[in-house]
Amino acid sequence: MKANYVIIGAGISGCSIAYNLAKKGVKDIVVLDKSYLTSGSTGRCGAGIRQQWGTKMNCLLAKGSIEFFEKAKDTLEYEGDIEFKQEGYLIISTTFEEDEQFEKNVELQQSLGIPARKISKEEAKEIVPHLNTQIIKGATFCPTDGHLNPFRMTDAYYRAAKRLGVKFYFNEEVKDIMVHENKIEKVISSNLEIYTNHVVNAAGGYAKEIGDMAGVDIPVYAENHQILVTEPIEKIQSPMVMSFSKNIYCQQVPHGSFIMGRSDPSVAHNHCIESSWQFLDEMAKTVCEVLPLVGKLRVVRQWGGSYTMSPDRQPIIGDTEALEGFYLACGFSGHGFMFAPMTGLLLSEIMLKEPSTIDISDLHISRFKNKQVFTYEKSVV
Amino acid sequence: MSKYSLIKVKYMIKKDLVIIGGGPAGLCAAKMVAEANQSCMLIDRNQILGGQLIKQTHMFFGSEKQYAKTRGIDIAEKLVEDVKKYSDLIDIWEDTTVVGLYQDKVVTVLKNERYVKIQAKAIIIATGASEKVLAFENNDLPGIYGAGAVQTLMNVYGVKPGHKIVMVGSGNIGLIVSYQLMQAGVNVLSIIEASPKIGGYKVHASKVRRLGVNIETSCTIKKAIGHENVKKIETIKLDENWKEIEGTEKEYEVDAVCIAVGLTPLTNLLSMIGCQMKYVSELGGLVPIINENHETSIENIYVCGDASGIEEASSAIVEGYLAGLHACKKLGKFHPKNDELMNEYHQQLTNLRNGPFGEKIRIGLKKQGVCKDVS
Repeated sequence: MKANYVIIGAGISGCSIAYNLAKKGVKDIVVLDKSYLTSGSTGRCGAGIRQQWGTKMNCLLAKGSIEFFEKAKDTLEYEGDIEFKQEGYLIISTTFEEDEQFEKNVELQQSLGIPARKISKEEAKEIVPHLNTQIIKGATFCPTDGHLNPFRMTDAYYRAAKRLGVKFYFNEEVKDIMVHENKIEKVISSNLEIYTNHVVNAAGGYAKEIGDMAGVDIPVYAENHQILVTEPIEKIQSPMVMSFSKNIYCQQVPHGSFIMGRSDPSVAHNHCIESSWQFLDEMAKTVCEVLPLVGKLRVVRQWGGSYTMSPDRQPIIGDTEALEGFYLACGFSGHGFMFAPMTGLLLSEIMLKEPSTIDISDLHISRFKNKQVFTYEKSVV
Repeated sequence: MSKYSLIKVKYMIKKDLVIIGGGPAGLCAAKMVAEANQSCMLIDRNQILGGQLIKQTHMFFGSEKQYAKTRGIDIAEKLVEDVKKYSDLIDIWEDTTVVGLYQDKVVTVLKNERYVKIQAKAIIIATGASEKVLAFENNDLPGIYGAGAVQTLMNVYGVKPGHKIVMVGSGNIGLIVSYQLMQAGVNVLSIIEASPKIGGYKVHASKVRRLGVNIETSCTIKKAIGHENVKKIETIKLDENWKEIEGTEKEYEVDAVCIAVGLTPLTNLLSMIGCQMKYVSELGGLVPIINENHETSIENIYVCGDASGIEEASSAIVEGYLAGLHACKKLGKFHPKNDELMNEYHQQLTNLRNGPFGEKIRIGLKKQGVCKDVS
């Protein structure tokens, strides 16, 4: 078979890219996934949406995406509820240095029109009464951050893309990408051979392997991040509570459960998505310190998923110098879900050589060329 | 190794072998292991060992080797007695719920409200089954029970579940529980069965029919009616394609409904640790892929009894013996009569699965990847 564009990966990024291309009138778009819709990182993510970042690029991607989410149900004509709840992110600082850094972050965020603000301990306690203020110096709060259901949101993109003629193939693992004289010829998957000159790598945790098939070296790796969810209770917490120094994010989702996660600094770089008892131990200790009341709840489930880390913890979005027609949307470093609307919009603009809504030349893969040291996004759990 | 493991290991109980589930399969595995002079920990979430046997007051069929002509409750007593003889080798943790099973073979449990971790070298999973449920309107009204719950109420606690009851399902459990309900003085209005023929043994069906209970085939429950508890149910006939035939609705005034539509393996722990699973409808649903040593796709993780596919308690007993023998053999402890027993038990399983009633099991086991112990 033939296709104009082959998109690898039916997570939120792949679906958003497919939708944006189709909406601009592109025909013959095929999306391949080695498993099912949202089976990878999207369906395993923490479901948080925030604009409070430490780099300008991340702030802009997040802000544009939130503006899309606010209208997504109508724009995508989705019948279901995407469970978008804008009740904020409360990010707490626990050291003097962190508090100073937050001062700078908020300044940057405000300069870009993001309604984040620095707040006192007391104000933080008012927003989240069960917060342990003894351990905190201060906090920042952005009321338009929040929660979004990853399954529903991806489904909304998927259905909208399908209505516009995009073809999806599931359980279809890409095995090879054939290249001739610096041009893509075809994509070979489990059961299909698709002749195409354009491939989008939105393969999440497997983006590096897909790059290797096309002969393009992408400096990303996957690492396991774990999450747990508690039994549901009546609503007691509105915003996501997050701390980089305490290594935790925790929010109560509309259903009433608390979802929380933290990073393991010694985690191996691989495709492992197991859950461990060590995570459960450490997560329990952390949440008991930061949000003691939540410690009384029973855990109903835990799981793991991949962050795909780039050297500067910012996404790689754009074309590649090494191979004509090969496009990248990867290396989101744990935040691909919340950036997806902008990922789809901006990459489709690049692919169709349209003027960019915002300049994302800084997200091009060429930024890593001959570079050893990076200033990277620090506002990451 | 992650930095956490270094700090936490000292709070970890170490065991060579952990058996999860103290029903017939788990008890028999423990017995074999102890006979081979291998220590183990036997964990069960109930206060009394014996699994489902403790609520089975009827006599078993089949071979005397698996306690035929003995009541389930007496079999349980016998099996528990066997295990308690080895108190030096078998560490029994009753009233303890396993809440997690991790790839490094750490079993996490809740015991007396405390969270405890146990590091095992090998694990035998004998968690049994859970009852299947039916989807119909108001299926969550009080008064609607699974057959297991009815047996527990009547046979363990001596409580009648209701006065006027309809049984949904005519497998052996549906038939036996109907008979027991009648013995307890409950009015069984009807036994309904969705398939065109009765599922259980003829001898059980005849017994309830002689007492005047109608078994209506090609019929299912459509909805339950009631507010605080079930007052009425509506049944409907099914055609040869299992489609409802309009106009055949029938109402029964009831105060209880018993759903006996089969069991499904309780495989949550197997899934959690990452065993390869396969859907085999003949075995009751999602089952682990196993080799002929009852070992799953993860080395030293064994499974036996209903957790590896729904069969009779007699098969669970023999599978338990075999899983126990294989597990301790791999840990380096040979049962003094290992070879003799292995042959004997394999033969027993083959016999149990023989004949027309074993056909479904034989098909299922072939799909599951085990061709041994079926002729």
